[in-house]
This record gives sequence, structure tokens and C-alpha cells, in this order.
Amino acid sequence: MRIGRRRSWAALLVLGCTAGCAGNGEGLDQNGQPISGGGTASGPITADFQSIQAHVFTPICSKCHIGASAPEGLQLDAAHSYNLLVGVPSSEQPALLRVKAGDPDDSYLVHKIEGQAGIDGGQMPLGESPLPQATIDAIRQWIEGGAPNAAATVALAGAATAAAATAGAATAGAAAGEVFAVQTTAPLDGAVVKAPLTRIIVTFNRDVDASLVNDSTVTLERVDAGTSTSTSTSTGTATATGTGTGTQVVRRVAAAGALAAENPAALLIVPQAPLDAGVYRVTVRGTGGGALADMNASILGVDAVFEFTLESR
Amino acid sequence: MTARCRRFDGRALAAAMCLFAAFAAHAEPYLAVQMGLKCGQCHVNPTGGGLRTAFGDIFAQTVLPAQHLDSALDNWNGQVGPYLRAGGDLRFDASLTQIPNTKSVQQFALEQTRVYLEADVIPNRLLAYVDEQVAPGGALDREAYLLYWSAGHDWYVKAGQMYLPFGLRLQDQTAFILTATGINMTTPDQGVEFGWEHGRWDAQLAVSNGTAGGAVTGDGKQYSTQLAYVESRWRVGIALNRNDQSGGAKSAYGIFGGLKTGPIAWLAQAEITDDESIADGQGKQLATLLEANWLIARGNNLKITDEFFNPNRAVPNGEQTRLSLVYELTPIQFLQVRTGLRRSDGIPQDDSEHQRLYFVEVHGFF
Repeated sequence: MRIGRRRSWAALLVLGCTAGCAGNGEGLDQNGQPISGGGTASGPITADFQSIQAHVFTPICSKCHIGASAPEGLQLDAAHSYNLLVGVPSSEQPALLRVKAGDPDDSYLVHKIEGQAGIDGGQMPLGESPLPQATIDAIRQWIEGGAPNAAATVALAGAATAAAATAGAATAGAAAGEVFAVQTTAPLDGAVVKAPLTRIIVTFNRDVDASLVNDSTVTLERVDAGTSTSTSTSTGTATATGTGTGTQVVRRVAAAGALAAENPAALLIVPQAPLDAGVYRVTVRGTGGGALADMNASILGVDAVFEFTLESR
Repeated sequence: MTARCRRFDGRALAAAMCLFAAFAAHAEPYLAVQMGLKCGQCHVNPTGGGLRTAFGDIFAQTVLPAQHLDSALDNWNGQVGPYLRAGGDLRFDASLTQIPNTKSVQQFALEQTRVYLEADVIPNRLLAYVDEQVAPGGALDREAYLLYWSAGHDWYVKAGQMYLPFGLRLQDQTAFILTATGINMTTPDQGVEFGWEHGRWDAQLAVSNGTAGGAVTGDGKQYSTQLAYVESRWRVGIALNRNDQSGGAKSAYGIFGGLKTGPIAWLAQAEITDDESIADGQGKQLATLLEANWLIARGNNLKITDEFFNPNRAVPNGEQTRLSLVYELTPIQFLQVRTGLRRSDGIPQDDSEHQRLYFVEVHGFF
């Protein structure tokens, strides 16, 4: 038995010696991200978007708010957070903007991180300790100062390739950080979401020329499987497309497009009437007359198309 | 079954368990390695975890503890009625967590209380099973499924909400190999599972929603499969998982195994994951685990676990490690005390990756 125990101790010693080493962190920021990839969290938080992203959104929020299953479609990684926050109505309380530039008291983000009465769901970060008051103060100060996207363009350029993958078909033709392109959509292409859906969000990697946003910029259509008949409805015209057994009835749904307040990189598409359950297709015009363009007159170059399914709650 | 028959069965099982007494340990996959058994020998769930079988219950009373307290009643075998079996687990912790530049946290916490029920609708062939976490907080459905066994118990079909098969099913749900894949006992999913058992081989294939029991967000499905070969002194297996969701697929590939060398049971697993829904290739991860469980004496187990995690294979220098030293004492049946420390290390600029956790846990189970 003594020999057995000696061998056991020896074996455990070997295990201890084989323990791997942690990374030295060289070339990484405080969150383990490459320093060139979206801001550093060195030093205390400051009242600018890059610092808030690096101190709060990336290390804390994007544990859950990332990718296809991000709660409320709100992705808070460096590539997406700004355009899905600033000027964008809350999904839980559409009467409030997530971030209302210049007005932290009316910004739902602040309500959520402060755990104010009247919020839907829990205080953020969900299930963790509330953010330190100094962090909340920095976020409030950033919003009060107009919620500028001071350094986010650096992050967006670095993440454009990933954004293209995330946005699926909508980003077809976008080259990494070089051409004007769709960054992401909410809902994402192919997603299934629960009603009600009060607005659809399309974000871009650059600010959009607001003068080009009009009724023809975006098209919202309902796509149903059906027979090849054409009908007119109160909300638009239905046309049949497809061949053989793949016939689809595509019915245009009245909707208005507008850029988010204080955030010209986010396009909000608001249906004129509540959407029923079904499959919907969104097309953002990127070619021809009326194509969407950035402030340098660079057009998308391709129509951005994505579909999602709306289910009854 | 009459009371007399049940008593006889219990004694027979207890006697059978004595044959294994010299090698006994308790709980978790290392026990299966120590005993050279498959997980389904001690658990109703063929892939392990949750309610114990009658074999597992008797084992936990006669072999596992350092001392068996005699009682006037039969050994507990989970039977609460002719067709109904029950069980449970309660874990209560006292812990101290230290993170550099952060106030230390000392707390008592009820980690979990879980209740298991099994209805043998058709004995040995069809059962309904529920695993419910009743505390802390509100009730949480962990598992709830119907399980149909073939006549020869060489295959089964399970339908409902279940833990997915992917490698070692450890008790520590914070292990890197469980958090990297997202497949663990906190993320059961709804779907169907087909299992095959043939001699030393067993395999499972599960198709599920891929939403960890939550609302369906797309047409994609999650496919989990594993294949294992179990010998009396060693075992090896492979596991694959692919979760096709609208924002991008997540894939995981793992290899796992166990080895018994004298009083030590070794566990090992390595896996890579690739989550295409996460920007910048941050979803390409690597996680490994190497664990030694030394059965010092009956009811006394020393566990040393070495873990490694690369959160982003595309970026160097961000690796994390975790070293755990845990002593597990099972003084009497139904009661276990675990005490230990976990030392986490990571990049120097992130204090949160340099955690020290010291804990004592009381674990009651039946």
C-alpha cells in the first residue's frame, strides 16, 4: 500500500507540473481582445463610447448580448452596439429610446442598468452585481453629452468582416471596412421572432445620407406560400412569383423608413400597422436611382435583402 | 412487487456492492471509471446525472460512505410506490471569493435543490422522468422526458427536455469544457435522443432545438452525438455537436476518456469549438481538462483538476487556466462534505481572470 501511495503522489505531482500556463496578455486589451480591434480598457472608465464599450459592453454585456440569440436582438459587441443603441427604440418599451442622445433620464439603457421601477425584465447586468455608480455616471455623462460615436468607427472598421458574416445576405458585396455596407439587421436574416414587432432595424458601417431616405428606400413585404393569383389589399398589392410548386404570394406591407435620432448609421423601418404572424422580407435599395448612399455618395452597390419569420406570442 | 421482494432485492444489491467496496469512490464520471461501468449503471439517464437507479442508490449507501449507519428500515432504493421512484440532491456552500483589486466576497449559498421523479409506466420499457430544480429561486425544469427501451435494452429513444450528450458530464458546471461548448446541466434542450448500447460500445444521437430550452429563434436544429468504448480499466470516446442557428452555426468537436491506475481514476477531455455567430472569429475556442481522483480510503477522495482554455484561437496570449484541489469526504450514507480551492489565472491585465475560490460544500442526496 505504501508503494501505491507513493506512486499516487508521484502521479498527482506530474499532473500539477503539467498544468498549462495562462497567456501573458501581450498585444491584448483588458478584455483579451487585440488592442487594434476595438478599444482598450486600460485605466478607469471615461465618458466616451470607446471607453464604455471596452469597460462595460464588451466584457460584461456581450457575454449574453452577442450573436444570433442576443436578447431583444440587441448585440452589444464592439461591432454592433452603437448602432443598435443610439436613437433606437427599446424592444421592451418602444416609447423609449435605448439611448436618447442628450437625455439620460429618458434613455431605457439607463433605466435598465439602474434598475428603475417600471422596467420590463430584470436589472442589467442580469443576475450579476449592479454596475458601479462611477460606471453608471460615465454612461449618463456620455449620453448627456450627445452620445457621440467618437471612437466607434475604429471598432467598426476592424469588425466589418465579421459584421458581413453576421448580417448574412444583407451584406453581400461588402468588403472589409472599405465599401459602404450593411452592418447588421434586427431581426437577423432567417430569424424567427415573436410578435409584436414594432420596428425593424438596419445598421450600416457609415452614416447614411439622410436626403436619400424616402418611401422608396425600403420595401417591406409579406411572403406567403400560395396559389398564383394577384389581389389588391388595403395594405398593398400582392403578386405571385415562383414556378411549379414553389409559388409564393408576395404582398407589400406599408412601412416608413427613417434614420434614428442622432444616429444616421441606423435605419428604422416602422410598419404602418401591426404585423401579423408570417414571413417578411425587407429590401433596402442599394442600386439604381434612389439607392442608399453614405455621406461620400458611395452607394451600397447591391440591394440588401433579408427575411425573418414573425410568430404569434 | 411485494415488500418482501423489495427487501430481498435491496439486500442482494447491497451484497453485490460489497464486491466493489475496495474500489469505491462516489459521484461523477470518475466513479464510472473506477468501477469500469457505464454511466447508466448508476443513473436512470443512460448518459448520466440525475436520479440514481436502485443499483446506484444501494451503491451510495453501502460502498460510497466511510461508515454505514444502520437503520431499522431497508436500504433506500428510491421506490416510493409500485411504479414510482424518487430522489434528490441538495448542495449548500460556504465560500470565499477573492479577485485582485476587488472586495472579497464571503457568503453562504444554497447552490441547488433538485428533485427527481421516475414513473415506470411499463416496467423496464417505458418511463416518464422529471428533474426539477426547486431552489434557489423559482422552479426550473431541468429534464422532463419519456424514455422507451427496447426489449433487450440495446437501444432507446428519449423525447422531451434533456441534457445533451457531449463528453464528460461533470458535477462542476463551471468547468471550461462545459462552458466552452455551452452543453452542460444548466442548458438542457428540447428534442429527441436515440441511444445504442452494444457490449462495450455505446452511442447517442440527439436532435434538439438548439436554444437551451428557450424559445425557438429559427429553423436550425442542434445535433449532438457521441460514441464511447468502455473497458474495465479505461474508456475513450468522441463527441460532435453542431447547432445551426440563423446567426451562424456553432460546432464543437471533442475527445474524452478515462483511465484507472491503482487507486487513481483519471479523466481527460479536449475540445475545440467554432461559433460562427460571434464576430471577429472570437468563437474559435479550445478547452481541455485533466483530472485525477485518488481514492485515499473508503469515503475519502482527493480530486485535482487541471484545466486550460483558449478563448480565441485566432489571437495568441489570451489563454486561461484553472487548477482545483478538492477533498471529498462521504462520512455516512446520503451525506458528503466537499472542501477545496480553485485557482484561476489569465491575462495579467484582467483581474477577473485571477480568481481564488475557497469553499466548503455540504451535499445531501438520496
